[in-house]
Order: sequence, then structure tokens, then C-alpha cells
Amino acid sequence: MSTSIVTVEDLRIRFPTQDKRETVKAVDGVSFAVTEGETFGVIGESGSGKSTLGRAVVCLLKPSDGRILHGDTDPYTLSSAELRQRRRAFQIIFQDPNAALNPRMTIMDSIREPLDIIGGTSRVERDRRAMAMLDRVGLPAEFGQRYPHELSGGQKQRINIARVLTVRPRLIVCDEVVAALDVSIRADILNLFADLQREFGLTYLFITHDLGVVSHVSSRIAVMYLGRFMELGPAETLAQRPLHPYTEALMSAEPIPLPSSMRGSRRIILHGEIPSPTNPPSGCRFRTRCPAAKDRCAAEEPVWREMEAGHFVACHFAGFVTGRAE
Amino acid sequence: MRGQSRLIGRRLAQILPVIVLATFVVFGLLQLVPGDIAVTLAGENASDERIAEIRHGFGLDRPFLVQYASWLWNAAHLDLSRSYLSNEPVFDQIVHRFPTSLLIVCGAMVLSLVIGIPLGILAATKPGSRLDAAVTSFASLGVALPSFWLAMLLVATFALSWNWFPATGSVALSKDPTKAVLHAALPAIALAAGGVAEVVRQLRSALMEILSSQYVRTLHAKGLSPASILWKHGLKNVSVNLLTVVGLLVNRLLGATVVVEAVFAIPGMGSLIVHAAIHKDFPVVQGVVLSMVIIVICMNLLIDILYTILDPRVGLK
Amino acid sequence: MIVSVARWCWHNPNAGASLIFLVGLFVLAILAPVVSPYAPTAQNVNNVLAEPSFAHLLGTDDLGRDVLSRLIHGAPATLYASFLAVSVACVIGIPVGLLAGFLGGWVDDVISRVIDTLLSFPGIVLAIGVTGALGIGLTNGMLAVGIVFSPQLARLVRAQTLVVKQELYVDAARCFGASLGRIIIRHITPNAIQPVIVQVTLLLAVALLAEASLSFLGLGVQPPHPSWGGMLARAYNYMEIAPEQMYSPGIAILLTALSFNTLGEALRVALDPTRRRR
Repeated sequence: MSTSIVTVEDLRIRFPTQDKRETVKAVDGVSFAVTEGETFGVIGESGSGKSTLGRAVVCLLKPSDGRILHGDTDPYTLSSAELRQRRRAFQIIFQDPNAALNPRMTIMDSIREPLDIIGGTSRVERDRRAMAMLDRVGLPAEFGQRYPHELSGGQKQRINIARVLTVRPRLIVCDEVVAALDVSIRADILNLFADLQREFGLTYLFITHDLGVVSHVSSRIAVMYLGRFMELGPAETLAQRPLHPYTEALMSAEPIPLPSSMRGSRRIILHGEIPSPTNPPSGCRFRTRCPAAKDRCAAEEPVWREMEAGHFVACHFAGFVTGRAE
Repeated sequence: MRGQSRLIGRRLAQILPVIVLATFVVFGLLQLVPGDIAVTLAGENASDERIAEIRHGFGLDRPFLVQYASWLWNAAHLDLSRSYLSNEPVFDQIVHRFPTSLLIVCGAMVLSLVIGIPLGILAATKPGSRLDAAVTSFASLGVALPSFWLAMLLVATFALSWNWFPATGSVALSKDPTKAVLHAALPAIALAAGGVAEVVRQLRSALMEILSSQYVRTLHAKGLSPASILWKHGLKNVSVNLLTVVGLLVNRLLGATVVVEAVFAIPGMGSLIVHAAIHKDFPVVQGVVLSMVIIVICMNLLIDILYTILDPRVGLK
Repeated sequence: MIVSVARWCWHNPNAGASLIFLVGLFVLAILAPVVSPYAPTAQNVNNVLAEPSFAHLLGTDDLGRDVLSRLIHGAPATLYASFLAVSVACVIGIPVGLLAGFLGGWVDDVISRVIDTLLSFPGIVLAIGVTGALGIGLTNGMLAVGIVFSPQLARLVRAQTLVVKQELYVDAARCFGASLGRIIIRHITPNAIQPVIVQVTLLLAVALLAEASLSFLGLGVQPPHPSWGGMLARAYNYMEIAPEQMYSPGIAILLTALSFNTLGEALRVALDPTRRRR
């Protein structure tokens, strides 16, 4: 059995609103485990809490409730010095490649920085390793002396990747890594991600709102809505036999051509706006937009249960609505 | 209206800690005096008994917080103790001299606004023109100009050479209004140079930003005349900035008047505190600083309240 | 680097002129004993309030001292005063601002309150108050001015820190295990500092005027040491007899303050992040 790199146990993250009177329940009870070597995709609309989840996994946000385990350790039980050391194995690449780079540091300085922090090697050696990474992500050596504002979005994202790789992390959270890039170079970057995974034995937590992207790279997919998972299962299963109405709606709305066997025969249109995360609907939080909501959906919150092997759903009528009940 | 009075109440509550902190700072000034205050006051070659006498007489042997509390209590009852030198009550001295300084500051404020606002508007409506360049240069000059030097130059020209204005002294407004204004005119003008510069700068940049905004360009496209855009939209939005400037000016002018009064030998608050500082008359120094701070805080409170009335967005924090 | 500064001066003649003037003043201040024709305190009661002549290019003052020499020797005092005051302001204001901005919470609340309070004091008045307590003299006066300036600097640094600490690259650095010190020094300070540089330059002008004012009032540089403000005070006494005594120190103060201001404004434009061009 593969080891779990990250285990999330009933995670909840809340933020106070501007006027401090209410709380935004960004993540409202999420549990899953990421095994070594896989690519775990998380898909959801904006406001679903997926970015918050990603940041929490790399300890940029503290859980309000529940916990996150790195391996078998809760990082918040460590001393701050130990935490600083341990957290290097869990990295993140952000959506905005420009904002992630210090505008006053040269590219070389930025890529080398994680090694500088770890210390223990000579400057020459660190430069060499940084150079090697720069080369590995497909950028010429002379870029090292440039500044971020002189490069394109795609190039900057490559640099972010290079920088993260210098510390040989075990897990990389990819938070909408291609969303800010031109469509034409997305494929290149995604292929780079795939290559690097093979070469360095990486595990990815891949967060995106774009179904085409996530089905391309993921082994498992979780569908997130308003702070909770609606469905979780192997990528192919989710695409071909989604059990949750939300998943089916997402799949059917996807404009990128999927093989017809993966496409639903009818287009499901969701009505209404995504509710406010300060006040999720009672019972099943998706019911306000679900085309098949019944009374029970408002009264009772659906249980997160394993319908098939490795395939979890939270819906009273899982399968029935999508016509794929076993 | 309900919401506004609640906001005003909140502002008043916020002011309180600031006032208390200010009084603490003013009282704390005394702690900066190197060595033992009693020794300083007793003078050279004073006997130990004399020093102890002074220390007890001024209550300097009590713990700091007790001294602070009693000083604060007295101050709240308008008793700012007595001058070390003349033994006159400090409060009386301040009240006596305050109107003189006030006349000058008000004069300077009025001049700054009356001259500065039109200039600022002109410069903003014609950015990049020769007029704008002239106004901006003038503003830069005004900020760098030492006000007391300008005062000296004014005295040399207008008072001594041409005899238009009196060179020194002041007259109470209540006694002889014309003479009072004449005496206050040159000092006010000297102060106003810096004030005009400040007003012009702030107004020009604020107005320019508004006039070049998308919204205004849309109004132009709709066909509104530049004049009405300026009046209706530009100036209304800038009134908030104007309030800020007035607040800044109060602070600045109160400070600058201290120096200018020395040039004109005007018996105002400025000369009071300078004399006290040189002769280590601490109660007077504290008294003047305290009164000025209270004035500035109250003015800012007033301005804040006017803000909430003028700009509906400000209140919704 | 000299080349790029020179090129910048070429494109911004005002700034260039200011920079040249200030550098020249600085050199003059250092070389004062060598360059000035007479000792600044050398009295000659036979030749008081003389008109400008070959022997005394700017005439003599009421004690027969050469005005030009006093002017030259006033420069180091002036520059020392400005830089001292601004240094004090930086030493107090910048760390306090960084602390308030970075830590947030109640630390920030308390510090902001204190800053607000101190900003309610009219600058000169507080400076006079502090000088009165510390004892009159140039260094004490400038310490007072520096203390009076530190709240504005702290407020500016705080605002900048608040913005920069939200930046994504700070988060990235945290993920790499960067220590607090490293984040502040390597990431926050370089990106927060530019408006501070502009403000510091502008404050040099204000400090200069403050020193002149304090010396004029007799609270700053004490006689017989020369200072431009003090020279103005003496000149004022003899204004009716020899009005031209007032011009040279005043113009010196004006030009220097103007240069600092112009340089500061030009720096503001040059360092504007929306036109980032290195």
C-alpha cells in the first residue's frame, strides 16, 4: 500500500468577514488522503474554497478545525524551527506567475533562494544547481540575470517551477497554474508538469476550475462545491459515470471536446448563483441549483459515502439523478 | 441622520484615547530633562536643603504616575500651574496671548484658501500650460521658503521702507480692529506663502486626478460643458481633499506662527514658549504645547465630523 | 552606476541641478576651513557691517566677522543638522513602522494610536518643547526634530509593509522555510523602501528649515558658532542699517531646501513602480 503523503481530516477553515460579524466558511469539512506518486485533482468553481484548501495543505493557512497531516505528523505540533525545515517538502505553485516572484531579485537569485535558506552548500554549488533547474525547465542560462518584468507569463511560471524543484519536494500543490497563461502555451506547461512528475517522482495536488486540464493530468478527481467535496473518485469513472448532479453538470458544460463516450448526452444547465459561503444552504448545499432537488435535500445533509471502490459521493439520490445508478 | 450621529459618537470616543495619550506625552516631556529637575531649578551652588525644598514644593518627590494624575486633574480644571519664573498662572498667560496668535493664524488660513484655491483650480484645468508651470514653480518655492525670512523681507520692504504696515507688536482686536488687522497683516502674509503652496499642491493633484478620470471623460463625451463638469463633479469630490488640507494647515500654521511672531516681536503664544524654553520654565512650555495639541485635535475632530456629513462612503467602514 | 545617474540627470535638468548643488555644498562643507577666506569667529570691531568689497565679498556682520566665511562654515552645521534629524527619524520610525505593519493585531493598533497622537502636535512646537526639556543646542534641537518626524515615517513604512506582506512572493518564501528576519530583510524592505526614500529626501528639506528656525529663535546653534538661521537673527537686528545682511543666509537656506525638494520630487517620479524601468 502506498503511503499517504498528505491526509486531510475534516478540515474547516473560516475567515471573519470585513465587518467581523460573520464568518466565511471557505472550507467546511473536507477529508481525503493523497497517496505518493498520484495526481489528485480538485475541481470547482471560483468561491468553492479549493485555493484555500491548497494553501492550507502547505501550511500557509491554519486550520480552524480538523487537521492536516504531512505523512503522519501534524505540522502545527512542531516547533517553528522544525516546521520551517519540514515544510520544504510541501510546495505550492500559484496562479499568478508574476506576483510569485520578487520584482527586485534576479531570476537566478529567486531560483536559488530555497537553497540559500537551507544552506549547507557553497554558493558556487547552489548556483550550479539553480542553473541546472533553469535548464531543466527549458529556459536559456542567460535568463538568470534578468528580472521578472522582462519575461512572459509562461516563462515566469517555468521559473516558479524551477524554484520549487530545487528543494526536491514530495508534494506540489498546483493552484490554477495555467489559468493565467495563454491557451496556446498551456499544453506545454502541462506537459512539463507531467515530465517532471515522472522524472522526480512528484505527487501533485492539482487545483483548477478547468475540466479539460484536470482530466488531462489527474488520476483521481475531487469535485468541490462551497467548501465541501461533492464527489471523489478515479478520473475516468468521474468523467464517464458521475454520480453527483453537480459533477454531471460540470462534465456536460465542458466546451473542450472530450471523446463522445465521455460526454453526457444532454447538456445540464445550472440555474441560480452560487450561494454565499457565509451562509451555506441547509441540508445539501447544492440544492439551490440542483435540477433534481427534493424536500429531503433541504432537510438532511447528505452523508459522504463510498458508493463504489474508491468512489465517494455526498448526495441523497446519487446515481439516480444521473441515471447511472447501479 | 441616526447613523450619522452614531458615527459622530464613535469618533468622539476614538478621540479620547488620543487626548489622553497627548497629555501623557506632554507631561512626559518633563522626564526628558537630563539630571534632576530640582537641581536644575535650584540653580548653581544651591544647598541640599534648597534642592529638597524645591523638590517638595513642586511635588517632584512623588511617584511619576501620581504627578501625572494630579497634573492631569488640574489641567482638566484649567489649572496649568504657575510659571517658574514669574509665578503667574500659566493658563492666564496663555489665554491672554491666544487671541493675538489666533488672529494671525486665521488671517493666514483665509489668505491661503482665498489665493490657493483659485490658483489650484486654474492649474488643474490647464495642465502642462505655462500657467500651470508657473503655479507649480511658485508652489515649490513656497514650500522651501523659510517663513521667517519672508517675514523679515516683508518687514524690510513694506514696514520700514514704505511704511505701509507696522513692523512690530500687536493690538488686540477688541481694542482697535483696524490697527489689529494692520499689525497682523504682515505676519499672516508671511505664513500664507507656505499655506498657499500647500493648498495649491494638494488641490491641483486631487483635481487633476478627477478631471482625467474615466468618469469625467464620459461626461465630456456626453456633451457637458467643461465649466459645469468642473463645478458639479470636480469640485464636489474635491471638497473632501480641501477639508484634509485645512486640517494640515491648522497644524502647520500653528507651528509656523511661533517662529514668525519672533520676527515681529508679537506677544503671542510663540514668544511665550520660546522664552520659556530658553529659561527652562517647564510649566509654561507644557502649558503651551498642551493647548496647541488640544486645538489641533479638536480641529481634526471637527473636520472628521464634516467628512462623515459630506462623504457618505467614509462612514461605512 | 555613475553613468546611469549621470544619464538621469541629463533627462531631468532640475534634478540634475539640485544634485550638483547639493554635492557642491557637501564638498564645500567638508573643505570649509580650507576654502573660507577668514575664520568665522574672527572679529574686527573696526570694520563692522561693511558693504561687500574685495576683501570681504559679502561684507561683514555686526562684530566685523566676514559674512562669506560664516556662510561657508554654516554649511557643515546645516548639513549635519538635517542629516542628524532625518537619521533619528529613520532609526525610530522605520523599525516601528515595520513592526506595526508586519505584526498587525494589537501591536499595530497601539502603535497607530501613538502615531496619530504624535502627529497632532505641531512640529515646531513639539520640537521646541523637547529642546526646552533636553536643553538648548544644535544636537538636542535636531534630536527633537528627528523625534517629531519619526511618526510620519513610521506611518509610511507601516502602510508599505501592509501592502508588501500580502504579496505572493512573501508566501512563497514562507513555504521555503524562510525565517522572519529573512523575509523582512530580503523581501519586505527592498519592496517597501522606495516611497520612504522619497520621503526621507523631502524630510531633509523640512529638517533644514526646522534647524534654521530653531537657530533663529536661539534654540539651535549657539553663538559664536555660525549657522544660517543664527545669521539671519543677527541680521534682523541691524536690518535698518544694513538690510543686505539678510539676503545671503536666506538665499542659502532657500536654495538648499529647494534642492532637497526638487531631488525628492524627481526621485518620486523615477522610483514610481508603475513605470518600472531599470
